[in-house]
Amino acid sequence: MTELERYVAPTTLAAAIDCLKDGEVTILAGGTDLTPQTRAGRMRIKRTLMNIRRIPELKGIALDGGAIRIGALTTITEIMDSALIAKHLPVLVETCRHFASDQIRNAGTLGGNLCNASPAGDTAIPLLVLGASVELASKPEDKIYRRSIPLSEFFVGPGQTRRSLCELLTAVTVPLPAPGHVARFHKFGTRVGLDISTVSIGIGGTLKDGALAAARVAFGAVAATPLRAAQTEAALEGQRLDAAAIARIAAVARDEVHPIDDVRATAWYRKELIHNMTKRMLENVAQA
Amino acid sequence: MNVVAKKPRTIPESSLIGTRIPKMDAPEKASGRTRYIHDINLSGQLYGKILRSARVHARIVAIDTSAAKALPGVHVVLTAADVPDQRPIGVARDHFPLKGDRVRSQRDEIAAVAAESEEIAAAALKLIKVVYEDLPVIADPEDAIKPGAPLLHPAPAGAQPAGATVAHRGKADNIAMRFDYAHGDVVQGEAESDVVIEDTFKLHYVTHCCMGVSGMIAEFDASGSLLMYSNTQVPFLHKREFAEYLNMDPARVRIIQPPIGGGFGSKLDIYPFEVICLFLARAARRPVKLVFSREEEFLASPTRQPVLLTLRSGCKKDGTLTFRQVHTLHDNGAYTSWGATTPFVMMQTFSSLYRVPHCDYHTVAVYTNNPYAGSFRGYGNLQATFAIEQQMDEMAAAIGMDPLAFRLKNAQHTGEVTGQGMEFKSCGFTDCLNTAAQRSDFSRKFADNAAERNQPGHLKRGIGMASMLHVGGGAKIYPSDGCGTILKMDDFANVTLITGASEIGQGSETVLSQLVCEELGLPISALTVVNNDTAITPWDVGVHASRTTFIAGNSAIGAAKKAKTKILAVAAQKFGCTAEELDLRGGCVIKAADGEVVTELSKLIRNLHFSDKAELVMTTFYYEPPSVHQGKDYKGDVSAAYAWATQVVEVEVDTDTGIVRMLKVTGAHDVGRVLNRLGIEGQVEGGIVMGQGYALTENLMIENGVMKNPNFRDYKLITAPEIPEMDVSFIESMDGEGPQGAKGIGEAPAICIAAATANAIANATGVRLYDLPFTPERVYRALHGQTPKLYWKPWVPAA
Repeated sequence: MTELERYVAPTTLAAAIDCLKDGEVTILAGGTDLTPQTRAGRMRIKRTLMNIRRIPELKGIALDGGAIRIGALTTITEIMDSALIAKHLPVLVETCRHFASDQIRNAGTLGGNLCNASPAGDTAIPLLVLGASVELASKPEDKIYRRSIPLSEFFVGPGQTRRSLCELLTAVTVPLPAPGHVARFHKFGTRVGLDISTVSIGIGGTLKDGALAAARVAFGAVAATPLRAAQTEAALEGQRLDAAAIARIAAVARDEVHPIDDVRATAWYRKELIHNMTKRMLENVAQA
Repeated sequence: MNVVAKKPRTIPESSLIGTRIPKMDAPEKASGRTRYIHDINLSGQLYGKILRSARVHARIVAIDTSAAKALPGVHVVLTAADVPDQRPIGVARDHFPLKGDRVRSQRDEIAAVAAESEEIAAAALKLIKVVYEDLPVIADPEDAIKPGAPLLHPAPAGAQPAGATVAHRGKADNIAMRFDYAHGDVVQGEAESDVVIEDTFKLHYVTHCCMGVSGMIAEFDASGSLLMYSNTQVPFLHKREFAEYLNMDPARVRIIQPPIGGGFGSKLDIYPFEVICLFLARAARRPVKLVFSREEEFLASPTRQPVLLTLRSGCKKDGTLTFRQVHTLHDNGAYTSWGATTPFVMMQTFSSLYRVPHCDYHTVAVYTNNPYAGSFRGYGNLQATFAIEQQMDEMAAAIGMDPLAFRLKNAQHTGEVTGQGMEFKSCGFTDCLNTAAQRSDFSRKFADNAAERNQPGHLKRGIGMASMLHVGGGAKIYPSDGCGTILKMDDFANVTLITGASEIGQGSETVLSQLVCEELGLPISALTVVNNDTAITPWDVGVHASRTTFIAGNSAIGAAKKAKTKILAVAAQKFGCTAEELDLRGGCVIKAADGEVVTELSKLIRNLHFSDKAELVMTTFYYEPPSVHQGKDYKGDVSAAYAWATQVVEVEVDTDTGIVRMLKVTGAHDVGRVLNRLGIEGQVEGGIVMGQGYALTENLMIENGVMKNPNFRDYKLITAPEIPEMDVSFIESMDGEGPQGAKGIGEAPAICIAAATANAIANATGVRLYDLPFTPERVYRALHGQTPKLYWKPWVPAA
């Protein structure tokens, strides 16, 4: 009943990438999105279904020089439970608490969440704020070739990324934030979990004298991809966060996003939320 | 020989009533053993699937099933052309299970397949080709009643037999049903009013979201008798109806209901999938199992009735209500199910929740291309209460009266006979109002919140109240509202209670056992309940209208009393005393005066059975409540008792986002008497959460006849962390007709929540919302002046 012809479960990265050369491969990691999407007929499983969960190299969280490397297969729960992440990237833990439900967090992976490229994807927002990059591996000849691209350039559109069909996302690297770095994540919803973002906001920077330096702002569910908000960042950069500045920055944020109407909210309301929540988050930063 | 006189054993008096008894089926359910319809499989069964319309409104030009029929593993493919004898179904008999010439909604059934696996059946559906010719979509009931609107059910060409149903003869307008009720004279009432308020309210689509999706298994045996596994809530009525659709003898139809899956009113009607499953089984000569996917459950299940309602009410300066005038426009959807008949209940609330001398009520239910509404816990009362209880607050504010005092002034009391003819033989309404208000500190918080409304900060607190009246002693919707019981006792004094009452999760087995044990002085462990099988159990109207505890409870008590009479008569004869001197307690026959044990009951029963003049303790009882089947004017005492409740809701509104958090619900329910405290608490808490979903999050979005969110991702049920703190009190008004004084309350707890939440939001923010649900965006828009005041000018076409 399906066009699926082959199921493979390679145990090495090299074997997995070799398999990708076929071009007609659906990658299975946590399966938390793949399963409902294919069952509902919104997505088709290609000729080969490749389970990558047996590849040890794709797992684990480690401090690697000046960056933290998070393997693509790391589950959302593992991120939440990681002392290393809690110490250096607490905003990622904060985000994961709002991610779906326990069952989905136990199975869903970071790599899967990013490759899924949902405009409302949760982990992209704090990772954009943290200046993360993704590592993509391919094997054009005999050797594995790895390239790294900033996450801010990774997303192309809903469900679309710059990962080519013969590449596998192997890890996410996050540079260690500078001392004094603060970051916050806000996901709008009425539930603690199990909500798809109506909007989500990440704000980060180094707090000094009531102002954020090297400020980064990311928004989810307001465009075709999770995005960095350059104008808002510029308005925020180095500004002492008094009431007038916060009002000004929030207004820039509202004007910068161009969301759409869908079943979850209208564009107007999303812009209002971006304004009000950016304001509230900056007020919290100012009071910190 | 040393003889010691045996000390007589005595058993002290005790009662099970009001105690906390765990549900008898809890261990089975908690351990996952209880079987949903999905878990039942018959050997040789095929799997049925339905092809639904790809269009909202279209003429069917052609259907080609040849490729589907040719697929290996497919046994039967049916379209309307293959079932020329199919009969119209539904409350108004206005549609066929399989649509032949025209589809009128997104859910419409065009073809069905029975195959050896679900996968094959699904693949076969994809091979069926349908050619449509689109027709204009009527998505707005206001458009549907305009003169000259395209007809949803036009008369077919050619003469039709007299007395034919809508499906055969068509309809000259789009009006599916209408209801007109009046008592008093609203013109006079308005003339006597100091304040008159008119508002339009808009109630949305929600659906039941039962834990188990809909399904059926049908099997014809070698002699042509039909066995159905079905989650129907009205097995005895449906047995007859299914037989009619199959043109067979109802005596040869047997329905077994799985005790789990969920109903909440959704299984009160017969839907196309059920009849189609029977057609498939008949054609395949094999058992057929047809179970919905969750998406299909959303698309093809009934909804709660969406309503547009304009309410005009008046009162005098002293707070006396003068009149109410109500017009509603019910979006009937493409076909008529029970939703169209919700005015039966709605008008009761308008005419009788408070003392109102003049009342005028009109409903027009209009065909559109939208999903159709069925019955749903509360049956129109959530909608009516939403309107009426908001206006109570508005009128109280207009005359400067406290909302509680205003309600108390107009509240019904015991002994009242309302304009609609309802007689309140027991009425704890005033106690409900006072208890809920006191326990929540309503009046102080109401004043404080209003005073703090304009303080800085984005979080505003609000408190609101609403009350309700609902049938609590059955409802004589049909000429009968009865239930039968068969009771038998075995040699060990264990009782088998065979009841007509359906157990669909509501806890009837436990409460019926409790009532029988109370009569016979037995422990709960002595009871076995047999139910949910029409071949075994005596007749019952069905599980609906909050009736089971009251009606089946009285029936069970009747059977138990007859058994007791028989046992005591035998004991009296054996022990040489009168029956009046004896009683049953603790599994023994005792002396009524001092509780001294005369004999163990099991011993007495064995003596009775093992004799050449054997007699069995086996009794039957049929209970019919002393209520009235209403006439054409909708007047009469439709229920043997009425339940009352007041619920106070406290909220926190975030004015930056529009998010409304429900913090606390304080409820006071007149339940007649608490029987199983654990059961009634669960029933009330569950109902509150259902009401919370209706008020805040649940919203079936229909755009131009198309459902936009048939999934739990975007149809948001309440999840555990959102459930508010609850403080529930029970008012025991000891109803004279109720079993041990109890009333039915199955529907009651869901009814007030939306109305009380609306009042709480108004208290918090000063902004009143007239349309549901209170999703963040809707609330935010209203708070920021982005919501124009709703107004629907009642327009009632001539009858």
